Amino acid sequence: MPDEITSEITQMLQAMKHGGQTAEDLLPLVYGELRRLAATHMAQAAPGQTLQATALVHEAWLRMVGAGDRTWENRVHFFSAAARAMRHILIGNARRKSRLKHGGGQLRVDIDELNLAAATPDDKILLMDEALERLEAEDPEKERIVILKFFGGLTNQEVARILGVTERTIERQWAFAKAWLFENIRSQT
Amino acid sequence: MTKTTQQVEALFDAACQLVNPAARRTFLDEACAGDATLRARVEALLAAQSDADKFFREIAPFGSTPRPGTEPATADTAATDTRIPAEKTGPTEGPGSRIDRYKLLQKIGEGGCGMVYMAEQEKPVLRRVAFKIIKLGMDTKSVIARFEAERQALAMMDHPNIARVLDAGATETGRPYFVMELVRGVKITDYCDQNHLDTDERLDLFVQVCHAIQHAHQKGIIHRDIKPSNVLVTLHDGVPVPKVIDFGIAKAIEGKLTEQTFFTAYEQIIGTPAYMSPEQAEMSGLDIDTRTDIYSLGVLLYELLTGRTPFDAKMLLQSGLDEMRRTLREKEPQRPSTMLTTLQRTELTATAVQRHAEPPKLITLLRGDLDWIVMKCLDKDRRRRYETSNGLAMDVQRYLNNEPVIARPPSRLYRFQKLVRRNKIVFASGAAVATALLIGLGTATWLFFMERAARREAVAAEELQYLLRQDAERARANEAELRRQAEIREKITLADVRVNQNAYEEANNLLNGYAPTQPSLEGARVFRAVGEWQALQGRWPEAANRFGVLIQINKFDGWDMASLDFLRLGPALLEMGDVQGYEHFRQAAIARFASTPYPVAAERVVKISLLRPADPNTISALTPLAELAAKSFANVAPGNTNAETVFQAAWGSLSLALMEYRQGNYAKAEDWCRHCLAYPGDNPPRVAAARVILAMACRQLGQRQEATRQLAQARENIKTKFGDELDPGSAEHGFWFDWVFARILLREATSLMDTAPAVSKPSASMSGD
Repeated sequence: MPDEITSEITQMLQAMKHGGQTAEDLLPLVYGELRRLAATHMAQAAPGQTLQATALVHEAWLRMVGAGDRTWENRVHFFSAAARAMRHILIGNARRKSRLKHGGGQLRVDIDELNLAAATPDDKILLMDEALERLEAEDPEKERIVILKFFGGLTNQEVARILGVTERTIERQWAFAKAWLFENIRSQT
Repeated sequence: MTKTTQQVEALFDAACQLVNPAARRTFLDEACAGDATLRARVEALLAAQSDADKFFREIAPFGSTPRPGTEPATADTAATDTRIPAEKTGPTEGPGSRIDRYKLLQKIGEGGCGMVYMAEQEKPVLRRVAFKIIKLGMDTKSVIARFEAERQALAMMDHPNIARVLDAGATETGRPYFVMELVRGVKITDYCDQNHLDTDERLDLFVQVCHAIQHAHQKGIIHRDIKPSNVLVTLHDGVPVPKVIDFGIAKAIEGKLTEQTFFTAYEQIIGTPAYMSPEQAEMSGLDIDTRTDIYSLGVLLYELLTGRTPFDAKMLLQSGLDEMRRTLREKEPQRPSTMLTTLQRTELTATAVQRHAEPPKLITLLRGDLDWIVMKCLDKDRRRRYETSNGLAMDVQRYLNNEPVIARPPSRLYRFQKLVRRNKIVFASGAAVATALLIGLGTATWLFFMERAARREAVAAEELQYLLRQDAERARANEAELRRQAEIREKITLADVRVNQNAYEEANNLLNGYAPTQPSLEGARVFRAVGEWQALQGRWPEAANRFGVLIQINKFDGWDMASLDFLRLGPALLEMGDVQGYEHFRQAAIARFASTPYPVAAERVVKISLLRPADPNTISALTPLAELAAKSFANVAPGNTNAETVFQAAWGSLSLALMEYRQGNYAKAEDWCRHCLAYPGDNPPRVAAARVILAMACRQLGQRQEATRQLAQARENIKTKFGDELDPGSAEHGFWFDWVFARILLREATSLMDTAPAVSKPSASMSGD
């Protein structure tokens, strides 16, 4: 995203924190960004595999604003919050669908009964989500990168900028995290 | 994160960089050494990679293909840090297009690397230039950043045989372009063949190319891509003038080259592998210096002389990457003359006709000097190549003037070493890969922590700029270092010429202020010669200074010459009164030869380390060396008919006498001295030294008369010798430093005679000085 926009976002966030602005003032700016982000990704996503980008953005935004937590320190915090909101929505969505398929009732997928090869994409997302919790316990920094990249849909470059590290670092950590997560999931199923 | 996790992560990352499974295995063998759990963990993660990618692609909520222009699809696999995506749009620039301040006029060439246009520059002056657009859609920003880092240095180049690079930038379609001085010429090889230039005429042109490269090297610029298509010949008033083009471009565009892009991109980017040096083939990226260009110049000379390259380009490419590297790293090319004899008759005739010669004559012409000049350039070990481009040019010039050339056929020893090397190569290359990787791993780990620390304070907006700045600074620092090294090599080459003309003073002056640290035969020769020249005139501090450098850079000389160099430095230090320097010196001597299997080297180190009394630590460090010498020399009878054996035993006995004396074993010292004196042979400084030690031992044993008698004889001999001007001497009759050695002991003996008690206890010898 262009520098001027991100720094504007930071300014807005700061102003909001001091009570001068509301999240709604921020909406046009951030919404535009999130929308653009989602739209570009949607263009390349296989049909049927994804949520409606618009719906996702709306839902995430409402969740973020609705939670009353409006004291985002800066854009790192903001984007992390946005990504976490998206994670919540996606996981909730997958869980609902998975419950329907597996006959409902359970809150979590019973991973003992899952064969990874036969798992549906929704099951896989849930498995991933669980593995992610284990990653967080071990290495919270990588968990954050995964959330920004996977749920936030940000590119390496964007994540690097947000976290203030090099793109190469993100590339490396993302590669490691993916292998780690997959290996973790496989060893659990 | 635990320490182990960090380790796993660092190893994982490092292993990801290695696409070659064998290299990966070697690396993990080394890095995990014995830690099976660690290794299993890393391997499990590596194995999970491709499945993991698939898994994540499948479930990604946004789809995983990133937006075009931000990240190529492959960026999601860690092993890929290369950015050479396929071209997305066809070329849109063409004649008539305007790019920045240039107007493209017509296409004048299409290389592997891109299109070359003649263009018109409108500002600041109207002129025609060559405009090269790099074909591949590569990481334009970093190409330009790398170019910018070198721009200053490039701007300093000013040589009639170099086409200047004027500018660089990006086209609207995002491709990098370079603007160069327009050269209307043909490839040097084509020019020579079309005009049937004979060998001497070809060499004349080649010498000019060498001078151009030398000029660039002095500015710290390495071409990295010398090949016929980058050396064009134009006619100035009917006189052919070679022009080297494309300086700075190879460096700017090769940065991101990795194994994966090699076959798809290498040929297009860099061109023919036939001109690639062994160290370039390694693609470590770190290890390219001016001698890489010397190698390529050697290939160019090879092709000018024979019409072929040492290794066939097509075969290299077809053999696969690993095999190609192996060839470039290990396989000895045929000598140019040998290459010609393997050609078909018709081919040979054609080659000869193009060179205005008859086939058999052409072969004889190349055999000998020209063979060796070429082969010296092509040595796998760059330290054995010519030190500088000028050095190469001078040797070619010497050939043209019918003077003896510096390049020589390798000695038998050298060839033997080669044989050993060839057979050890499997092991050695494995070790080298592992070392390179461990260093890389260290760096990766270090960077990992640095980045972590930086993350806490980094301001994201400044990050990119900061990195670019760092890149530029690194490039500049590197450049300065390259310049310095090139300068040193240049001085050494010039000094070597002076030494060959016996102009020692000039040679000495050239070396003032330069203290090379890289081993080199040429450097050692020069510093040895100049140091001796100083020593013979009694300028000890200057001599010690030159010899001090010498023992740092004489690693290629073999143990015999190298241990003699220590015999040169030790006395020089004591003659200038640098006792502390001598202490350092003898520790260095012991360290260097501690595990030598050669009794003669051992004997020399013992002797030279005991010119002054030594503490028990030094004595015990010398003991194994003394034992090695004693084992070899103790049983050589004076009547032994092998002169060499007798000669060595005589010197060995002297060293052992000194060893015993320094330990207070005076009777044994006396014994060894008498042994030494019993051997035949006319070596006055050795005899004098033996008498001095004998005198000291006798004095300690209370035999005053014998002591006085021996010392008087020795003193007489030594005084007479130093009455005249000192000469270098010879191995057989003693070198100058053998005399100085004796004289230093004589001083010790003289003061012992005056001060020591009539009968001293053994321990007194430790403080007898």
